[in-house]
Amino acid sequence: MSKLGVFDMAVRYGKLTAVTGASFTLSEGARVFLTGPNGAGKSSLLGAIAGAVRTAHGRVEIDGEIVSGRGAEDIARHGLSMVPEGRRIFAGLSVRENLLVGTGIRPDREAVAEDLETVYAAFPILAERRHAPAGALSGGQQQMLAISRALMTNPSLMLVDEPSLGLAPKVVDEVYERLCALQDLRRLTLLIVEQSATRAARVGGRMLLMRGGRIVADGDAAAFAADDLLAEAYFGDPA
Amino acid sequence: MTLQLLFDALSLGGIYAIAALGIALIFGVMKLVNFAHGQFIACAVFALIVPSADAIATLGIGALPAPLLIPVVLALGAGLAVAAEALVFRPLRHASPVSLMVASFALGVLLQNLLLVTYGGRPKALSLWAGLGAPVPVLNAQVPLLQLIVIGAVAVILVALALMLKRSRLGLEMRAAAEDFGMARLLGVRANRVIAGAFALSGALAAVVALVLVAQTGVADVRMGGAIMLIAFIATVVGGMGSLTGAVAAGLMLGAVSAALQAFLPPEARPFRDAFLYALVILVLLIRPQGLFAPAGAKPRV
Repeated sequence: MSKLGVFDMAVRYGKLTAVTGASFTLSEGARVFLTGPNGAGKSSLLGAIAGAVRTAHGRVEIDGEIVSGRGAEDIARHGLSMVPEGRRIFAGLSVRENLLVGTGIRPDREAVAEDLETVYAAFPILAERRHAPAGALSGGQQQMLAISRALMTNPSLMLVDEPSLGLAPKVVDEVYERLCALQDLRRLTLLIVEQSATRAARVGGRMLLMRGGRIVADGDAAAFAADDLLAEAYFGDPA
Repeated sequence: MTLQLLFDALSLGGIYAIAALGIALIFGVMKLVNFAHGQFIACAVFALIVPSADAIATLGIGALPAPLLIPVVLALGAGLAVAAEALVFRPLRHASPVSLMVASFALGVLLQNLLLVTYGGRPKALSLWAGLGAPVPVLNAQVPLLQLIVIGAVAVILVALALMLKRSRLGLEMRAAAEDFGMARLLGVRANRVIAGAFALSGALAAVVALVLVAQTGVADVRMGGAIMLIAFIATVVGGMGSLTGAVAAGLMLGAVSAALQAFLPPEARPFRDAFLYALVILVLLIRPQGLFAPAGAKPRV
């Protein structure tokens, strides 16, 4: 059984179609990049899977159970966690409070405390600034916090929207290193929106290419980098 | 004289602060300016007395001993607010803030008319805790006992609320939701729980205001919610919409300025005290249109 299944998904904003006919499945433990040019519908698709964006059509399954149509707060209880575009840190809350917001769905308080220590050990800067307002962190630190905050819900499936947005290339390297390490450690299934196909190829994994609201290609990220399909998707005529 | 003024300022400002908090709490989590808050206060007042159109009110719940009366009235206020949320605002959850605001106006008018039908339109005299008017010597001033109790109660409520918001699970979820509700939901925070919690707190605070108003004035008037609602709303705007600290600070300031104007204006200008007060409010908003304490969620994200 696949970890995540998306079937014939459509998202519309008024008359504008953001996503249409999107179908794919993710096997457990997979790392999958969702790439494509600006406005291809990547974030809308991610938001629709997480329940943050209303879907016009289609079905989402997590572990074979249909979750589409439920609210984001219910989908979070099915082991899905999201690192949204722009990070959306709670700026006025302390770093520690940011990490704790998502732990309300976990019954085991001791495991939460343990995970908090794990996060602090992995990111000493978050431990050091734990009582500081999260809005005072740098962009890279906020990205680490957003990833850690998503992990604190103890997810099995994590959606990450443009983790490289607005960060220096060196910081992006670090963010991806951390993400991959965490994935191995936690046996996470990762779906990452990444505008740069080159970046996706370098990190490695499966790649879904989106364009004009459709998934136009699906394959290994490294193989794509050499392919004409990529240039076609970014620069070619809309089909 | 100055000590007297300090007590006046604190007790008046404290009540404004509690009323403003009731509005700011709900605005914080769902961007609704609840204009029915004044009627929540009026309903809590009338809950004390037996329904009738008589000019002298007969105490019903209001005749209970204080240790029983206070929790009962607070629970009634909270219950009314939670019911209003479930019946009126929940179906409108995804409507625009303007629609929500209009709905709150409608609810306020409905509640006021329900009171009018049940209790008649004439203001009623009622005496709640009559002994509290007795003056108590504090240093060189004579302060009514009630004023001291109000100041003490406001202080206790503010500390308790701050602790609740800072330390409890619901408080954390409310603060997160106030900054970014969509993100909080993505992290599994239950929208209904947070919003109902905010309404319950707001309703309980309305009941506190109701008890103080009745004890101070000895009058139950169907229209009594309007005046306090206006000043509380102004306090939330001056404080910065959505900022709880701002609502409290601005409430206290409005009370202090009001008490000072009352004391220092020449007698012939005193009837226009509120005009002076609101002129000051306009001045503050001209200088800081976002209010004194714009909440973190209102700042642009980098």
